Amino acid sequence: MALDTGQSAHDRVPSSFERSESRQFSQLRQFRKLFSRVRVTPMVVFWTLILFILVIPILLFLTVAFSPRLLGQGPQWFTLSSFTPVFSGAYGKALFNSLMLGIFAGVGATAIALSMAWLVLRTNTPARFLWNSTIFALFLAPSYLIALGWQRLFEQRGVLEIMGLQVEPIRNLLYGPVGICLVLMVKGTPFAYLVIANAMRGLGEEFEQAVRVHGGSRFEAFKVMANLLTPSLFSAMAIVFAEAISDFGVANTLSNVAHFPVATYQLYQGINSIPVNFPVSAATSFALLSLVVIAILAQNRALRGRSFRTLSGRTRPATMTKLSLFGKISTSTYIIGLLVIMLGIPVFGAVSASMLEGLGSLLSNYSINFSNYSRVIHSRFLLNPLIYSTEMSLIAATIAVSLAAIASKVLTATKPSKAKRFVDFFLLAAVALPGIVFAIGYIFTYNLKFINEIGLHLYGTSFLLAIAYSANALPSTSRSLVGNMGQIQESMMDAARVHGSNGARAWIDVTMPLIARPLLIAWLLTFSGTLLELPVSELLYPPGSPPVAVGIEISLAGFDYGGGTAIEILSILWALFVVAVAFFLFNRFAPPGWKRLGNLR
Amino acid sequence: MSMESTVKAERVVITGATKRYGELAALDNFDLTIEPGSFTVLLGPSGSGKSTLIRSIAGIERLDSGTIYFGDREIAGAGLHTSPEKRDLAMVFQDYALWPHMSAQENVAYALKRRNLDAKESTRRVLEALDRVGLSAKGANYPFQLSGGEQQRVALARAIVGRPSLLLFDEPLSNLDADLRERLRVEIATLTREIGATACYITHDQSEAFALADNIGVLRSGKLQQIARPEEIYRNPANRFVAAFTGTSGSFNGRVDSVREGSATIILGAQKIECRTTNSLTVGDSAEVLIRPSATSLGQSSLNSLSARVLDVAYRGRGYEHVVECEFGVISSVFATQSVARGTLVEIFIDPENCVAFPIES
Repeated sequence: MALDTGQSAHDRVPSSFERSESRQFSQLRQFRKLFSRVRVTPMVVFWTLILFILVIPILLFLTVAFSPRLLGQGPQWFTLSSFTPVFSGAYGKALFNSLMLGIFAGVGATAIALSMAWLVLRTNTPARFLWNSTIFALFLAPSYLIALGWQRLFEQRGVLEIMGLQVEPIRNLLYGPVGICLVLMVKGTPFAYLVIANAMRGLGEEFEQAVRVHGGSRFEAFKVMANLLTPSLFSAMAIVFAEAISDFGVANTLSNVAHFPVATYQLYQGINSIPVNFPVSAATSFALLSLVVIAILAQNRALRGRSFRTLSGRTRPATMTKLSLFGKISTSTYIIGLLVIMLGIPVFGAVSASMLEGLGSLLSNYSINFSNYSRVIHSRFLLNPLIYSTEMSLIAATIAVSLAAIASKVLTATKPSKAKRFVDFFLLAAVALPGIVFAIGYIFTYNLKFINEIGLHLYGTSFLLAIAYSANALPSTSRSLVGNMGQIQESMMDAARVHGSNGARAWIDVTMPLIARPLLIAWLLTFSGTLLELPVSELLYPPGSPPVAVGIEISLAGFDYGGGTAIEILSILWALFVVAVAFFLFNRFAPPGWKRLGNLR
Repeated sequence: MSMESTVKAERVVITGATKRYGELAALDNFDLTIEPGSFTVLLGPSGSGKSTLIRSIAGIERLDSGTIYFGDREIAGAGLHTSPEKRDLAMVFQDYALWPHMSAQENVAYALKRRNLDAKESTRRVLEALDRVGLSAKGANYPFQLSGGEQQRVALARAIVGRPSLLLFDEPLSNLDADLRERLRVEIATLTREIGATACYITHDQSEAFALADNIGVLRSGKLQQIARPEEIYRNPANRFVAAFTGTSGSFNGRVDSVREGSATIILGAQKIECRTTNSLTVGDSAEVLIRPSATSLGQSSLNSLSARVLDVAYRGRGYEHVVECEFGVISSVFATQSVARGTLVEIFIDPENCVAFPIES
């Protein structure tokens, strides 16, 4: 699929390469002269990488929407005509659908997350202990796997119909905006929960007590609490909105089957048409990106000038509400119900489908066994792709977390600087950048004539895939580390420097241990996310080396539903195994001081 | 157990130091010399530049211009900025800056890494330093298992264990309660002098400054107003700001009646007050008389006394401090061994040696 654009990596190597060799040599000499005075420090390396893997590819791609001629994609130096199709016809409809899905998923996920944060952190409901592992599992599972779980259960001749159940009414609901919104809401809930739960943890009981002792009712106290949580509710909605309209996994599975077009799938179709219309793809990407940035900026603006800092050294932890027996039963039922919908059904769908021999075929005899597993163990879509994806994920997670640690340090510097504003803006914009846009940006940039002329023949290589994975994960990884990095008092680094350590040593001795656990968690989330990542894999994998997500897609596209879901289950088990080993090693070998800090509770 | 032999203390010479944050000059062409082995306290209000100065000496901040010498070694100057780890100094921070992932012993041992000692000698010195600050039993504790005072003691042990030639203190007592502050102040004073290092200590608390210092430098708006021994600062403040910031119990405005060598007579209404002056006054000038807390006492009507009414009285253990109001203003900290009831009319004697007059600035 990846290279069905009518051009292969090798076709795009300019034939004039040899002829321009001497010219390149002279250019290289000029570059060398120019940069001979630049000292290579870690920060110089950081900024160079940020420019080349994040800023330049995306800016070049987005620029082509306004100036096709500048990048050899049309006759006009400046035009807005690329935007005309974006707001009409199929593109316009897809964009509107994405917008609506984003809004509903944002509001829904925030409401669920708020209720769960309150139940888990402020009550003694017995089922609260099930929640944290569910959250982590949902972080690990890409949206397309959740969607596929539902699909396998409810599709025609799916698992439930084979079991003799009539599920057509539910299928009609699932294969439409309601089902798509449901999956996006499920995928967005962990993000919303983390934001709201962090805010609720910092909200001590003194605010509630202050209302009550000054004559306020229980309801008044609740209103004050809700007001204090406002920033986190806005943030949660903005994040889920951004995740939902950027999503490609559901777009490529459920919404595709349901014939409910969304913007990311429209983009994917655009890039697979011949010839590729890059200006229109860029304009669509620009529109999509603008929606997310507007949402996040609106959130920032709505909160500007209002201080909601509630966490201080004097904050007293809130006491838990003790529920009655009826309260315990009803809240536990609610939590378990949610768990079933969010995780239980997709997992049951995937596991049962993987054990049904003949699923997806026109056979009338189905049997439950492990034949799909024994078959795919030796499949060319599992073992080698899984090894390849594991290698890529190791590299991408390591690069992304290393760069994210530096980026989050720049972002949390107490002194305002241009560097801080620059990183802040680009990471904010890039968090909102859908993976599919990112991948198309890479295809576009690394196929540009002048890029090939300077000797960078990267398209269709594992190298490009690895840096695309890294760059794609960098913004969200950086954002996830900012909170932990911001808690480190600068004086601790100063103390290390003053007492004899150079900058690098101080970083290793002080900063690294202080954020060891958040770094490990960020690394594992990036690793797992990359292992099963779809849009970048789909569009940038080197010929003959499909990552495992592409292996699953190819199997499913060939109606091997049993085999595809078996690969899916084995890949998830592999990711969980790596996570378990990493935590075991950390708990076994990390110094005691490291383990105490940065605990995610 | 006492700390081993003294170190080679450095003279610190700062010349023309300037540091700006946008429009604000935190240090403005600042000059200062700290003698080797001396304990110098830099005293000033918030925003006076004292934190910037000590951080520049440490190498955490980079000066815009000016030079800093440690002995003969230039460590900051035009195009030169020696990184903090190469300056051979130690520092005690206001917020302790202990590393929470290290035990107390590990925190202290960290400062010895640069000395490249063998493990046995390193452990011996660490235990000695912890013992010296009274924490030998708590070396295995993590910072969160220690009280605020204990944490600052660990920070102090970390600062002295490497026997640096220069010790810097960035308001180390400001986060502690009064009792702990006093006890730790004594430890800082004795330990620093024991190891013989040059010490530079910043604070906004004048009582802390007077208790600790061999020399006090008073800062205002990035400039050094005066540096001298504590007694000299107290008796002969260079200007009104220095006098006011180093402790007064009140002030009166009047007119200069006569001036002699180092003293003046100021007319307050129908009365006259003798006081010290900096010789910048001439007869007929408007002047402000600043009264030190030690200048006042309750007594009989006499020369240099004023009639006043007691507004408030507070018990201070060894006696009573009164706040009184006279025709020319309010004076606090008027000491007497016996309490005088609120509203009583009294005579306040003002010691001419402990009050000082300055021209009133327009």
